[in-house]
Amino acid sequence: MDNDNILVMKSITKLFPGVRALDEVNIHVKRGEIHFIVGENGAGKSTLMKVLSGIYPNGSFDGDILFDGRIKHFHGIKDSVSDGIVIINQELALFPDLTVYENVFVGHEVVKLGKIVDWSKTKELSKKYLDMVGLDVDIYRLAGSLGVGKQQLIEIAKALSQNVKLLILDEPTAALNENDSANLLQLLVELKKEGITSIMISHKLKEVEAIADSLTVLRDGKTIIRMDRKDINEQEIIKNMVGREIEDIFPKRPVYKGGEVVLETVHLNSFDTDLNRYIVSDANIKLHKGEVVGISGLMGAGRTELAHSIFGNPKNYKISGKIIAFNKAVNLTSPKAAIDQGIAYVSEDRKKDGLILLETISQNICIANLKKISKFGILNFFKQNTYAEKYVRDIDIRTPSILQQVKNLSGGNQQKVQVSKWLFSEPKILILDEPTRGIDVGAKYEIYTIINNLVAKGMSILIISSELPEILGMCDRIYVIAEGIQTAEFDIKDATAEKIMESATI
Amino acid sequence: MSENGKTKSFMEKLPWLIYKYFLTLISMLRTNIRDYGMYIALSVIFIAFGSMTGWVFLGPVNFTNLLNQTAYVSVLAVGMTLVIVTRQIDLSVGYIGAFLGAYVVVAVENQGQSVVVALLGALVITVIVGIIKGLFIAKIKVPAFVVTLAGMFIFKGFLMLKTNNRYIPTSHPFFQKIGIGYLTTYEVGGVDLITLIIGGVLLLVVVISGIRGRKKNVKLGIPNEKIELFITKLVFMSAVLTYLSWTLASFRGISYLLLITVVVVAVYHFMTTQTTLGRRIYAVGGNPDAAELSGISVEKILVIVMISMGILALISGVMYASRLQNTSPNHGPFWELYAIAAAFIGGCSAAGGIGKVVNAVIGSIVIMSLKNGMALSGVNANIESIILGSVLLLAVVFDIYTRNVRPVDLVGMHYAKKEYGDQLKEAKIKLKEAKLEFMQAKKEQKEDVLEYEYKVTNAQGAYNKLNEKIRIAKEEDFIKA
Repeated sequence: MDNDNILVMKSITKLFPGVRALDEVNIHVKRGEIHFIVGENGAGKSTLMKVLSGIYPNGSFDGDILFDGRIKHFHGIKDSVSDGIVIINQELALFPDLTVYENVFVGHEVVKLGKIVDWSKTKELSKKYLDMVGLDVDIYRLAGSLGVGKQQLIEIAKALSQNVKLLILDEPTAALNENDSANLLQLLVELKKEGITSIMISHKLKEVEAIADSLTVLRDGKTIIRMDRKDINEQEIIKNMVGREIEDIFPKRPVYKGGEVVLETVHLNSFDTDLNRYIVSDANIKLHKGEVVGISGLMGAGRTELAHSIFGNPKNYKISGKIIAFNKAVNLTSPKAAIDQGIAYVSEDRKKDGLILLETISQNICIANLKKISKFGILNFFKQNTYAEKYVRDIDIRTPSILQQVKNLSGGNQQKVQVSKWLFSEPKILILDEPTRGIDVGAKYEIYTIINNLVAKGMSILIISSELPEILGMCDRIYVIAEGIQTAEFDIKDATAEKIMESATI
Repeated sequence: MSENGKTKSFMEKLPWLIYKYFLTLISMLRTNIRDYGMYIALSVIFIAFGSMTGWVFLGPVNFTNLLNQTAYVSVLAVGMTLVIVTRQIDLSVGYIGAFLGAYVVVAVENQGQSVVVALLGALVITVIVGIIKGLFIAKIKVPAFVVTLAGMFIFKGFLMLKTNNRYIPTSHPFFQKIGIGYLTTYEVGGVDLITLIIGGVLLLVVVISGIRGRKKNVKLGIPNEKIELFITKLVFMSAVLTYLSWTLASFRGISYLLLITVVVVAVYHFMTTQTTLGRRIYAVGGNPDAAELSGISVEKILVIVMISMGILALISGVMYASRLQNTSPNHGPFWELYAIAAAFIGGCSAAGGIGKVVNAVIGSIVIMSLKNGMALSGVNANIESIILGSVLLLAVVFDIYTRNVRPVDLVGMHYAKKEYGDQLKEAKIKLKEAKLEFMQAKKEQKEDVLEYEYKVTNAQGAYNKLNEKIRIAKEEDFIKA
């Protein structure tokens, strides 16, 4: 084995029901470098890191992991940590109600006499590691009272205290402001001098250009290319991230001819009291009859929040501004009010927000419009099953029976059930939030065909997606959102992946 | 084929047909063990106590008594099922029930109110309390455990205030009728004809609705359960109904307590399975986020469930006070816990979305049978709680273990074994060989020991694949082929 590479992952394949999340992925990372893994959402970056860190245990995937020249079988995150591989996830794993020094050593406490925590040593050591990451805070403060940037540094200090050799950061700067981001990047460069190798997952190509020694581009669960420092340039990366023939994936639709406005938001602002910031600021979007409009932006840019703000505000944001549906200012205070106005929302996370997994297909399809299958509050199962059969046929949900529990279906078919459920509520406006996340190419094509059929019948559709090809392939018009702010609007004629990427990464 | 030949072949086939019938039955039971586990457990308990008490346990007097004892727990368990289905808990209903019972008794006995006025007063109180509980839980988002724990203390206090900490007997005809009264009887030779007729009608309803349900399913294109299972179920249910009506008829017929319980269960069964409200309740329990986004007001549903629980607590409290013909500050403790236990024994899932009211009633009967049976068979009364706790734990363990039960088709496996038997034997031998070679290679510390390991893995895989093929074999596949 060459001793140059600290990590080699050879032909890693990981299957989820109905999806090939990773398909023969190969990466290698040299000792003491900062390696970036880039790719669109759903390209398989986080899955790959979960494989590496043992969250997906050995045996649940195919392929080999060589760390420090040895084949490793990690059965849990504990195994990888003990070998010096530490992953810091996007959602930080700190305990907000514990103090800073407790957080640094939680899980691997400094002990004396076997099992007794040595608090004075804990404080002393945590001070040392916090100094290493350049965090100057009172160690008695509660971690939750610090900003995200400082919390991230605590996580890195924690990693250092575990003798980290390979530090993995999953989109570390996604939630940071510019200053904190710059600090973090600087820190990584300094840690490199101490001999710590880092793998970083990031969307922000400016960061890649700034500090990457090498990078790997993933797309659709496959390794596309590995680039070294000298070859790295933004254009090339984007080309490799996006690059595929769009025509084969998206069914054709006649050019949009125009129509009346059906939905409009005027200076729409949403304030999240939990996060204490605006998640949507000054959104002015328009949707016409029979039109497909795309909302593009990176994860966390406020796309779903915008959809929620329109669809009856289920998360109780503070909302200001106007929503105009069918030439009438409407006050949508609950999802029910939105449904009554003819709006439907197919949620991003179909398992959490969309489907009742333990119930049957027919129950799920009918749940948003029980009135249609009941009289005086008493259900008519004949109607329920007839409608369910109709959708199973029309939308082509592949299942042995309409009485199948939804949890037993593949991702694509679950998504079709979700779409059916909302079509059953007879909407005029359909909001699709990440309609093809986690489903395979074939099922995607079917969903796109459904979308085309619906607009042909005069429905208006809003698609939220972080997959650029999907936005470019399906929409008539595109809004780009970054950090809650609407940064650009493109007609499909003028839109390119590069332009959208640029507007999305301010 | 001649007439003779046909009968002969039928007679030849007969053992196989009987064997097949049982294989099908066992397959269906194993596949749907979650639905039948409780009935099996109840049968075991009945037979055990029956034999321990020389069948007195199942005799007319005790069986009537058992059902009357169960009534108040059953009614609470019905409401508790919906509470648990919506992912909540209600610890307050024991004392709320006892308090409401005391309220009605005191109003009638000491304050001279009419029964109707007293009941209406109690109804208003319990609805208001239900709304308050519901709003605390749904709107202010205080955990239900805390809200209802507080309610438990508060209503224990109210109960003591209401009864003035004293035992208050009642002999009002209303309480007598409800608590120890029976429906009119028309006895012939010591057996009540009316009960028998009701039993007979119910029997007919069960058979006819069962057959009609199957026809309807055919019309809808929904697969019916296997005919073997359907017939067995019908026979079993008829036997139970016949036994039940005969037993009740030979004592005093149908008690008002039993009647009220049956009406409550019927109403709730209908509500949960046939109405939009029922669908909404289960949707909220199954996935509150999805329910909210589907236009269902989770808040409203939770309040409704809490009000329903309160009304059932009122019915339960009145039933209990009536049966004992008194009210007392000692009523109330453990009622809610019996109801919760009954719901869990009846297969409710603490994660929400799953639970049937009828099964909660079966759960109540399990609990009360244990109490009743142990007393009757002279077991030390102190171990009663130990047994009850163990049964509860076992029931939930059973529930968890059977959560991902996979369908089995023993008939299909029978065919498949015939077809793949030889291949399976071969694969087994190969696997053994590969393992031996691997061990050998390991001992000799060969360079390519990894190759041998791969061979073992492959052989194991091939063997497992065949086994899996047999396991998932379905009868239909072979009949078609």
